[in-house]
Amino acid sequence: MKKTVSCLLSAVLLLALPAAVLAETSIESTTIFRFFQDSRTGFPQKNFVPATQFLSIDADKLADGNLSLHLYGWGRLDLGDKSFNNDQADGNLTHGYLKYRFNQANAQIRAGRFIINEGIINEKIDGVSARTDLPLGFGISAFGGANVHSAHIPNENTDGKGDAIYGGRLHYRYRGMLELGVSGLYETAAPALGRLSNQILAREGKFGNHRLVGGDVWLAPLNMLELMGHTSYNTETRSVADHSYQLNLKPLKQLVLTGEFNEYRDRSNFLTSVMFSSMYSALRDMSRVKGGIASYAINSQIDLSADYRHYTREIGNADRTGTDLRYRFMDNSIRTGAGYHYLRAGSAFAVTPSSASSASYHELRGFIMRDDTSYFASADAIIFVFDKKISDKQSAWEVATSVGYRLTPLLALSGDISYGQNPQFTDDLKGLLRLTYNLNLSSKGGAR
Amino acid sequence: MKRPVVIFPALAGLLLVLAACASMKSVPGLPESHSETLAPGQQINCSECHNDQNKGAMKSLTSFSHTKVFVKNHRYYASTDDRLCSVCHRPSFCADCHTGQVEMKPSVKYGYRPDRELPHRGNFMTLHKIEGKIDPAGCYRCHGRANNERCVACHR
Repeated sequence: MKKTVSCLLSAVLLLALPAAVLAETSIESTTIFRFFQDSRTGFPQKNFVPATQFLSIDADKLADGNLSLHLYGWGRLDLGDKSFNNDQADGNLTHGYLKYRFNQANAQIRAGRFIINEGIINEKIDGVSARTDLPLGFGISAFGGANVHSAHIPNENTDGKGDAIYGGRLHYRYRGMLELGVSGLYETAAPALGRLSNQILAREGKFGNHRLVGGDVWLAPLNMLELMGHTSYNTETRSVADHSYQLNLKPLKQLVLTGEFNEYRDRSNFLTSVMFSSMYSALRDMSRVKGGIASYAINSQIDLSADYRHYTREIGNADRTGTDLRYRFMDNSIRTGAGYHYLRAGSAFAVTPSSASSASYHELRGFIMRDDTSYFASADAIIFVFDKKISDKQSAWEVATSVGYRLTPLLALSGDISYGQNPQFTDDLKGLLRLTYNLNLSSKGGAR
Repeated sequence: MKRPVVIFPALAGLLLVLAACASMKSVPGLPESHSETLAPGQQINCSECHNDQNKGAMKSLTSFSHTKVFVKNHRYYASTDDRLCSVCHRPSFCADCHTGQVEMKPSVKYGYRPDRELPHRGNFMTLHKIEGKIDPAGCYRCHGRANNERCVACHR
């Protein structure tokens, strides 16, 4: 199956090229050779050299100028030992769709494989979607198609998704200060699971059909005030799945103060994922995340932010607090940053929960990068220092460096080396070579 | 008896949509693309050029300035205004992380861009055992029903 997908991906991308070159086209090709070795005691030594090809094609202004084609995917060939699953080669057409954009009312139609992200809906489908604004501030969108099955559950013939899915969103906007939306999705019946432990999940009502409805809001009565968020309701469990809301205050042009509130009911939220629904019982059902961020742009070059989050679960609570600094100079060609965060978390959240364990840790990160017309280079260091040792290690750290040279304005060759020590590995040394080709014939504004 | 109850609202809705379609040409749309190329790696501040005046039902563009808060919580904006995102960003920009099936961490693919807010830097293999218990809903948002092939390798 995987080989078929890989062949199909290559064929589709090649077939698309002749059409693409006639249009305003952007092609991004990244070829990456990674090198790493697994020499853990007690296991046979393995040498991995996976070669991965990423390809993205955006062909705009096809046909009458409003049609575009978007194809993204990757393929991997293991030149050494198998790096992931039982296949020496793997691949995936992650997105592949045609989009027709109308000149009025922000209307568009998409057909193919794409992600739907509307209101409470976040799905990947092989199908069709359409949307448009309507007079008087209304708007409507709808989609339908087959689910994209991208995961394999061990010992199952299914990924837990139903075959077909459809839904949509209706919204109303008032004078750029209010938007109200209602959205919903309906998936055909969840497949029967074969493994006994998974069957028990279904029998206990922890796994079931994917059917949600919800509402979203955006409110900005003043330029300095903005409230947004959504609530989703699971019609199968007849319970709210999540509330997610954020309030932004902008008392000064350079200052943003944000408060957030999230509440989750894990049974309703995770009902359609075998993996997540099998884990939530140990954590119990309800959780809340509350917090805030203060972000201040000192000038056009320096940003400073501080953040705080409080996590509440039925088994305990945790706090995360920290600060980040970003500094850009020399016409944005040099960018640096540093950050510090501390997570205070009780023993219930520890890797191995016990009265003597702790999940608290400090996180410290710093980076610098230079992006010049002919070359680019970066260094990035991150360390996590645990309050209590994990697998007899007090910390996990990694230093990564990257150096690249632009052979032509479109073609760049770069190499990365990273080294670290952590509870998994005494020495974690990895390297990669990367060849990047970026062709942009599009008149579209900056893509990055 | 139930069928007419469903059919009449459906017909009324259809008529409303048809009537709305008839006057669609008067509803303004966003331009296909931003008129100027924007520099990569810069925190885009829309208010540098766009004032706060709203046109019709369009939101103020200053709401979309790429502050740290915006980048961190862009999901709220993307779920209602992805058409506006696409004026500046190609869809492949979103697909750098949101693919449904990734081959490697975005921070590895873009190892030369430490300035980008890419998830799971460093040894996240250890940390996920803590973070996953504290806020599993945060994991579920991306790894729930897709993009979890590597998760199920251990979480069977």
